[in-house]
Amino acid sequence: MPGFLLRRLGQALVTILGVVTLIFFVQRLTGDPTYLLVPETATQADIAALRHQLGFDRPLVVQYFDFLGELVRFDLGQSVVQRVPVTTIIASRLPYTLMLAAGALLVACGIGVPIGILLAIFRNSPAAKVAAGFVLAAQSMPTFWSGILMILVFSVLLGWLPPSSTGDIWHLVMPSFALGLLSMATFARITRSALLDELSKDYVRTARSRGVRSGRLLIRHLARNASIPVITVAALEISNLLAGAVIVETVFAWPGLGQVTVQAILARDFMIVQGVVLLGAFVTVLLNLMSDLLYSLVDPRIVLEGGR
Amino acid sequence: MSRVSKAAAAFLVATALGLAAGPALAAKDRFVIDLVNEPSSLDPQVQWNPDSYYVYRNIFDNLVTRDDKGEIIPQVATAWKQVSDTEIEFDLRSDIAFHDGSKLTADDVVYSVKRITDPKFASPQLGQFDKITDAVALSPTKVKLVTAGPYPALLAQLVKLSIVPKAVVEAVGKDAFNLKPVGSGPYKFESWQRGVNVQLTRNDAYWGTKAPFPTVTFRAVPDAATRLANLQAGSSDLVVTLDADQAAQLKSAPKAQALIGLTERVAYVRLNTTKPPFDNPKLRLAAAYALDKQAMIDGLLGGHDKPVPELLTPAIFGWVDGIKAPEHDLAKAKALIAEAGPAAKAEIDLATAPVFDQRIVQAIQQMLTEAGFNVKIAMSDMATYLKRAQAGPETTSLLSFGRWSCACQDADGVLFPLLHKSSGWSAYRNPKMDALLEEARATLDTNKRLAAYKQVHEIVATDVPVVPLYQAVVIYGAAKNLTFQPTPNESMFINRMSWKD
Repeated sequence: MPGFLLRRLGQALVTILGVVTLIFFVQRLTGDPTYLLVPETATQADIAALRHQLGFDRPLVVQYFDFLGELVRFDLGQSVVQRVPVTTIIASRLPYTLMLAAGALLVACGIGVPIGILLAIFRNSPAAKVAAGFVLAAQSMPTFWSGILMILVFSVLLGWLPPSSTGDIWHLVMPSFALGLLSMATFARITRSALLDELSKDYVRTARSRGVRSGRLLIRHLARNASIPVITVAALEISNLLAGAVIVETVFAWPGLGQVTVQAILARDFMIVQGVVLLGAFVTVLLNLMSDLLYSLVDPRIVLEGGR
Repeated sequence: MSRVSKAAAAFLVATALGLAAGPALAAKDRFVIDLVNEPSSLDPQVQWNPDSYYVYRNIFDNLVTRDDKGEIIPQVATAWKQVSDTEIEFDLRSDIAFHDGSKLTADDVVYSVKRITDPKFASPQLGQFDKITDAVALSPTKVKLVTAGPYPALLAQLVKLSIVPKAVVEAVGKDAFNLKPVGSGPYKFESWQRGVNVQLTRNDAYWGTKAPFPTVTFRAVPDAATRLANLQAGSSDLVVTLDADQAAQLKSAPKAQALIGLTERVAYVRLNTTKPPFDNPKLRLAAAYALDKQAMIDGLLGGHDKPVPELLTPAIFGWVDGIKAPEHDLAKAKALIAEAGPAAKAEIDLATAPVFDQRIVQAIQQMLTEAGFNVKIAMSDMATYLKRAQAGPETTSLLSFGRWSCACQDADGVLFPLLHKSSGWSAYRNPKMDALLEEARATLDTNKRLAAYKQVHEIVATDVPVVPLYQAVVIYGAAKNLTFQPTPNESMFINRMSWKD
């Protein structure tokens, strides 16, 4: 177990360094943001002065090692547009993205898993067919469209929910649904196939022949075994949700990291993009590690070893 | 679940998540404005972007300002006098106090001018003020500005120079001032919740017209459809940057309206006159004949914009009535292209960026292709577009579509950068043009300036280095109860608005 952890942490570090290096150089190859920071009427001399002040006229390699040096000191630099530390920006936006991801995961699991169970157990009933149709429809709708549709129906037409921005818990409802519905289908599908897989196994037949009731069988045996693929998917889905948040946050003016990243990319605010990508890589690596560890908790038969 | 327990549950979850559930206020008390992005900075001298401008112009006073008609009128300065070709003296109001209570004096004005013109400070706005060589406080209420040579556009540029308090900026430093700006304007800075909103509160001690709303909230709502929905749902009172289709949707809205105003912004197609095929004046003329301005406006822009025959709009000093520009005439365009023979068949790149209305770009391509040119759209991101557009005629594209505003409403800020050979933006080489632009820039005599600009417009109409297209409109969405006059410079002064219940 400790060997496994060390090995995985080493891999994680290399992955993160690779991602950061890639994003650093790819961004800078596209040019520098100075032209976006000045009015159209600015002279070449003004542009050069600002570029010098921002440090973009230094050799790329020097900029890269400076960046790594700052990174070691947990300094992500300063936004070139807003002129405030990137850590301040991320710290102010991260809670909103986490709230949204939690809401979306709740929607995805809360609707997806029961539907998956329904689809597995009552395979051929009309209710399962309706549920399957619902899943298909939810999965087929692009988020920007379902988001705008929800705003039109629930805010403009019915006046039930606030259309955008933040304030109280009601502001979170529509963005969570818009984001969660896409993953909901994945959860339903995985739950269904995992359950079907388990249902066909011998121990289920044995238990049934012993007279164990369906409900008890589902909770005591099937749920635990079928949850392993669902946990794996949950970990992967969180990274997907963070990517999907970019669109949802823009549509609902939700002030999370997705929105700030889009704005930063458009403004070529390198420092913010780097910071967010670094965080994203870190979270993804961490989630994968955690899902591996969770396996062994859920199913003690799975042994984690370093020398794989 | 009953209503009460639902609310209680919501409150508990909200508290657990750390959300603040603020009390709902009546719209009059709290005025909500939806911008596209949040301001990049509220220090008026370190940034240049419209979303910042909307907010900070309500926090700061400027030396002079423009009224809703576009005339330059006093603000901090009560009067001004040109004492020589290069010196101008301003009398200042003595009854202005900053939000921290300290008095605004000549020292603050001098400090603000010197701060923004200091090359080491590297203000993005430096280019607009770098003709100012010195600022001197003659008395607590008198300031002298010195320019390098006669500079007729000085007042027009000073409209954008905000006065910051010297003592505060020096005490707290640049970064802290940006986080908590102190001005002397009709609104005080209250809070900035990054990514969520900027809150301002009314400055009840303001020396000028007081604003109608005690608090104002600026929010960032990037998606235009969401801004429109916010307005229709009543969660915002004023939204910026709608398009003509969205304005049309508001026609039947019970509680909202579209406010449309013509701006100083001019849309144009720039031709690179130094390279084939547009080194041939006849082909430039053919391009001008091929473009149907009115069709673009009626078919794509909802009919609100206005075609222009010159590279200015009537909102800019330097506009001359009665300029004759080539009218749309496809037959003439085709004839000129046929006359030029195979030279006209060369591939022409039309540079554009996603921020521009792509329907217009495609219409330009289609109209030129119909006349017989071989035009390809070259799309790049905005920074690349800007870099290439300013790289001079050797590397810039053969055609580019742009929308220009110097935010100064003076011809010098439009014509000089786009047509004079010393500017990176210019892809035109004509000594007569350069001489006229220099002459208009170096005299304080408005009649002489207008005469020079008239000749500039005539050269543009006949030699066609640029095809001026239309005067662009700005479209806001507003609550029906709001009275607000959109201005050509797209400013949004809250103390000029009023509210009727």
